[in-house]
Amino acid sequence: MARREPQFNQQLLVDPTPMPPEIPSVKEIGATSAPLTSVAYFIGDRCKAFNDDFMKCRAESNGRGEIECLKEGRKVTRCAASVLKDVNTHCLKEFTAHWECLENNNHRLWECRKNEMLLNKCVFDKLGLKKEIPGTPENQVPVHLRPKQIYAQFPGRQW
Amino acid sequence: MPQDMPPVGGYGPIQYKRNIPARGFRPVTYLVGMHLFMVYGYYKLFYGIREQNELAREKIWGRIHILPLLQAEADRDQVRRHLADKAREQELLGSEQKVYHSNRFIRPTFVYTPSEVTQ
Repeated sequence: MARREPQFNQQLLVDPTPMPPEIPSVKEIGATSAPLTSVAYFIGDRCKAFNDDFMKCRAESNGRGEIECLKEGRKVTRCAASVLKDVNTHCLKEFTAHWECLENNNHRLWECRKNEMLLNKCVFDKLGLKKEIPGTPENQVPVHLRPKQIYAQFPGRQW
Repeated sequence: MPQDMPPVGGYGPIQYKRNIPARGFRPVTYLVGMHLFMVYGYYKLFYGIREQNELAREKIWGRIHILPLLQAEADRDQVRRHLADKAREQELLGSEQKVYHSNRFIRPTFVYTPSEVTQ
């Protein structure tokens, strides 16, 4: 009996019903984890207001946030998509290099500092978005600007 | 009978020590050396932990920045399925049945899978 081939006759196990037309549609972000990790801080910089608005709406809607915060959610997605689009148009080379590096290094940001610095510089010059880590102690260099990374495979100067 | 007496002038010294030179440095050198080694290790560990904390902060803030985006997408999917479920229920039963005594959004325990669809 154990020899029987497994049969799985329903390939589609997701409900394919589209959203009702009265709810405005938005194109989903469609990016995988590495590009999103790469642009996360730029999304955070440009879309902070939308993000906070959405999370506040969800927190205050008393458990009905999924339904009531669709509008804010669309704004969040559109804003993030705009960041991705801008980065793609202006800094495609640096962006691709960085997220491919992340992809190859198990999403460890400290392995890709050189690419990250190039990307940050390009994005800051072209788009004016800046990577800032909130809560960093003020008397030390932020970790993404340190030339030496203790935990990188090559711990010496990264650039 | 004459008694055995020690020789005149006493016995000679007995060699109870082995004549082997002590190897290595003085013991205090090893003690101090070990502590210096440990101090160096803790010094590196201190900065290593500091850097780990900062790396963790960087990672979590990256996640926090994209979290609303991911949440919005997941919510939209949930709402789409929820509305589809309600429409299906309306079509089959002709009325809306409330399962929970609450108007909160509750993720369904059992989800609908299309019955005769093979892709």
